[in-house]
Amino acid sequence: MDMNTENVDGITVALPAGRLDFGAAGPFQQQLEQAVAAKPRGLIVDCSSLDYVSSAGLRVFLVAARAAKAAGIGFAVSSMKPAVKEVFDLTGFGNVITLCADRAAAVTALA
Amino acid sequence: MKTAHWQLPGDAEQLPAAIAFLQGFWEEAELPMALGFTFELALEEVFLNVALHGADSSRVPSVELAVTASDTEVVLVVADDARPFDPLTLATPDIGAALEDRTIGGLGVHLVRQMMDTVSYTYEAGHNRLRMTKHLSQS
Repeated sequence: MDMNTENVDGITVALPAGRLDFGAAGPFQQQLEQAVAAKPRGLIVDCSSLDYVSSAGLRVFLVAARAAKAAGIGFAVSSMKPAVKEVFDLTGFGNVITLCADRAAAVTALA
Repeated sequence: MKTAHWQLPGDAEQLPAAIAFLQGFWEEAELPMALGFTFELALEEVFLNVALHGADSSRVPSVELAVTASDTEVVLVVADDARPFDPLTLATPDIGAALEDRTIGGLGVHLVRQMMDTVSYTYEAGHNRLRMTKHLSQS
């Protein structure tokens, strides 16, 4: 899985692409942990290029959300395709993680 | 009706090969891509359950995949010779729990049950068999 990160006004935006499966979960977690360690104002995971997520991938969102909360960093997930959104919805992750329709809404949510 | 079988070691490193097998069948049978997501997720969750929890230290279990598509439904059967274990007995995770109390255990099986139309388990002749079905819309 490829992942780029961007910095926009002190907010780190992570852009995972392709498949977030068991094999991709470890590297993805490392990248998000590094992003949290750099103490940005906020962390957004922009899922606009993410095609697939399994429970192994979901776990990383959970770990990152906890790490960000512990570090006092705002955390939001945005721009999910319908199939990825369904996985979040079926597991109730939207109750504990801020999910936004697009990146602009996520930036607003973290303001 | 189209069908495909494959036998492979129940090792987590084999997951990409298992997914590739399913994707190959999907293309050949010209099945809907949206349904492919559901079955890939189910295969990953079930295969990893066997590979990570079903194995004992002395032996890698053998896994047999069988996928069948008719005009009305797609059926995926994952069979393994690991110790008897019915994943459908796993407790439903508390999907209303707070962030700090969330656990990931059982979430994969929960997703499979939610996304499939039917899921059934049998243990016969030394093999766990999990059978997952999704109906095709008649449009």
